[in-house]
Amino acid sequence: MKRRTVLIAGLLAASTAAATACAPGQSTGSASESLVIYSNSVSEGRGDWLKKEAQAAGFALTFVDLGGGDVMNRLSAEKNNPIADVTFGLNNVYFEKLKAQQVLEPYTPAWAGDVDASLGDAAGGEFWPIVQEPIMLVYKKDAYASAAEAPQDWTDLWTKEQFKGRYEVPNSLGGATTQMVLSGILSRYADPAGELGVSSEGWDQVKAYFAGGSRAIKGEDLYARMVKGEVEAGQMWLAGKSAREKQYDIVTEAAMPTVGVPFAVQHVALVSGTKKAETAKKFIDWFGSAETQGKWSKEFFTAPTNTKAAALADPEAITQTEAFTKQDIDWTLVADNIDKWVEKIELEYLKG
Amino acid sequence: MNGSLRQLLRSPLFITVVAVVLWFSITFLILPNVNLLATVFMPEGKFSFSAIERLLSSERAMDSIRNSFILAVVLSVTVNLVGIFIVLATRYFDIKGARLLWLGYATTLIYGGVVLVAGYKFIYGDSGFVTKQVQNFFPGMDAGWFSGVFAVVFVSTLAGTGNHLLFLGSALAKVDFQTIEAAQMMGASSWKVLRSIVLPTLMPMVYAITVLTFLGGLGALVAPQILGGEDFQTVTPMILTFANMPSSRDLAATLAIVLGLSTIILLAVLNRLEKGGTYFSVSKVPASMKKQKIENPVANVVVHVVAYALFAVYALPPVLILLFSFTNAAAINSASLSFDSFTLDNYLRVFTDYSAMWPFLVSIGYSAVATIIVVLGLLFVARLVQKFKNPATAAIEYVLHIPWILPSTMIALGLIVTFDHAQWLVGDQVLTGTLVLLAIAYVIGKIPFTLRMLKAAFSAVPDQLEEAAAILGASSFTIFRRVLLPIVAPAAAAIAALNFNGLLDDYDTAVFLAHPLYQPLGIVIKNATGEDTLTDATALTFVYTVILMVIMGITMWLVYGRGVKLGAPRRRRTPSTSNNPITPPSLEAGVKTTRELVTVGTAHNQEK
Repeated sequence: MKRRTVLIAGLLAASTAAATACAPGQSTGSASESLVIYSNSVSEGRGDWLKKEAQAAGFALTFVDLGGGDVMNRLSAEKNNPIADVTFGLNNVYFEKLKAQQVLEPYTPAWAGDVDASLGDAAGGEFWPIVQEPIMLVYKKDAYASAAEAPQDWTDLWTKEQFKGRYEVPNSLGGATTQMVLSGILSRYADPAGELGVSSEGWDQVKAYFAGGSRAIKGEDLYARMVKGEVEAGQMWLAGKSAREKQYDIVTEAAMPTVGVPFAVQHVALVSGTKKAETAKKFIDWFGSAETQGKWSKEFFTAPTNTKAAALADPEAITQTEAFTKQDIDWTLVADNIDKWVEKIELEYLKG
Repeated sequence: MNGSLRQLLRSPLFITVVAVVLWFSITFLILPNVNLLATVFMPEGKFSFSAIERLLSSERAMDSIRNSFILAVVLSVTVNLVGIFIVLATRYFDIKGARLLWLGYATTLIYGGVVLVAGYKFIYGDSGFVTKQVQNFFPGMDAGWFSGVFAVVFVSTLAGTGNHLLFLGSALAKVDFQTIEAAQMMGASSWKVLRSIVLPTLMPMVYAITVLTFLGGLGALVAPQILGGEDFQTVTPMILTFANMPSSRDLAATLAIVLGLSTIILLAVLNRLEKGGTYFSVSKVPASMKKQKIENPVANVVVHVVAYALFAVYALPPVLILLFSFTNAAAINSASLSFDSFTLDNYLRVFTDYSAMWPFLVSIGYSAVATIIVVLGLLFVARLVQKFKNPATAAIEYVLHIPWILPSTMIALGLIVTFDHAQWLVGDQVLTGTLVLLAIAYVIGKIPFTLRMLKAAFSAVPDQLEEAAAILGASSFTIFRRVLLPIVAPAAAAIAALNFNGLLDDYDTAVFLAHPLYQPLGIVIKNATGEDTLTDATALTFVYTVILMVIMGITMWLVYGRGVKLGAPRRRRTPSTSNNPITPPSLEAGVKTTRELVTVGTAHNQEK
């Protein structure tokens, strides 16, 4: 027993020493210049690709891959001791909240003149648009005889009997895409006198949406469930649709509602308090440039906001993006209420 | 009472210990939690109870609370049924291949949490290996059979029997065999012996394990999340959701308080019951237990069949995880095994790619550091509270139990709220965003059972030893270092090993506190098993799982392996008389110590 005790103590001590000795960030070249980037848009190979491209351009990057809500929570928790130098990928709603908490540092990138600044923070200059993406209702093409029989708008899902139980509804509301979809539905029923700025008719719609849907299953992708035949429709963003069609080998179509679809605009911003501000600014200049955004688009099927990047981008991604009407959403209403909306839905309408 | 307080004040060693404990408790246990409660319930300096109203009007919240209690009650029954059966099958009855059976049943000791649940889903889920095989024979079978309350109870039951295996097994070893022999000579049937002699002796232990099973069911997180479907969601996932939404954290705190209060009430009630309870006497002249043949041939066959069926259920997931860890993503996705999909690439990738290996090093590092700190630190504290029984030490003990009442998520949030700005208690440092904070949280989380367990170990040390040393002129530090420490060291090592295992795949705490560049394994595994992920990471998860099992297996072997009596598949012929406090001399002390041990065991098993 004594030997065993010594062994356990020894192993513990050794593993402490081993693990504290070496961090991967520091092993790659000039550690001091390596930028830490928080993003919800580096999964599915995007981070690896960007790291390689950035290396060629002279930047060493370390990504922290988190969901939209987690990126925001972390940035605000670390406000007084920031680890991140740059963040990108979040949409307006999140960035407005970060701005309100004074997490961001104003910076006007070199490419500021090539984008529509009003998509971002035109007044404060704290975050700048890089990519815009329609948030869509997608359905499995061969599930319906013709496009006319497929759902045409979100409201069809719960008002028409044939779609009931055949579409996926989220099982948690923290994701950026989910919140976009909810904003798109609820903002149609804006009513200053209603509960949380939405009329009771609007809440009935959301209630019906969740009641009639098939709850998403943790650990299973929407497209995996479509392949299995459990559901035929659900929410997706444009680049995600393209990647998943390849991966799951199925064809899906997106509904084109007459009111339009919510557009998520992804932004990039400098984190306030970063110790590598100069390198970080250079990176933002490079990342949002027409050339980088064009390559990114070709690789990951996105529509860049940089007008000069359009010529270099994947033409199909731009065509498909432009095919959608941008839904007219009162973003102030959304930013003021989205947290309360999510809480209400979590408590009252979500299944399980 | 006063005398012992005066004594305490005369010892410089213990004054230092008290000072450190006070600082630590105020800084890391009281302040953060008070802070958190203040921010969520008094955002504008005024008390608000709207969270309670909002929860009461939510059908979903009420359902989840009800489901948590249902799960706790159901598990208390099922875990005991299965647990007692596997202990009897491996330790009491003469079953062919009992040692192999034991190894199969023990697999849930070397993996847990999200890894275990995901593993069971991979095997029994709608596109799982077993489901597919069965469907070949019964095409009409419902592929989605493995979900909802049944699946949650099934998985949690199997995952929860580890305590029985470790602790009920050792209690069984203390049953007086002479009484059994006497009963048999007087013509009692094997059923009668089991019912009238063996089971009553085991009851105190069963009772202790039931408490922990109940609490585990109440706080269940991963199993309902992954397998519960829309009909069976519980409270803890909801706490996690609301904790992640800054404006809804009052809901998370309220739900956490509901769970905390239930825990306190349950423990209080059980403490009372326990005080009035009777313990069954056992001989202190133990005759070694001989395995019992089941005389009734039908019963014998039935028990054998059930034992091996259970073995298959337990052993299949880990075996298949091992097999599939050698296959490519396509084979894993389709859950089909074939020779041409076998590959060593997954392992090569983990062992050659530094970034794939990194989460492991981080997890091992954090677990080791936290374990060393908590065990070393509490060695002094445990001695203090065990030796000096006065109101001051009693208060310290209560405070150190706070982490047991609050879910780790809430503790993590409290730390963030308190240390995201300069705090004079920690030398005006901002701790959020540093490596230290997660280590502190891990230490906090492991305090209650480490303390209880070490206290039990110290109480097994005879007073005379210390008195003799004192008479010979040894200082209190010398006594501690040269007399007490060597005696409790084996127990401390065992606790350290179990703590270490328990922290290896942590997710709840890390998701809030981990330094973004030092993300431990739990986060990586969770990310890989979440929705919205494409599947490249799946194969890697399997490799991580296998390596985790190996590490945990080694740790368990070091603690309970060859030569140590408790929990070992091969028992010594005669009970050891070593000073190992895990095998205490009498049952009264035994129940007490094993109760502490069970706590540690649950810590390891709780699917947090």
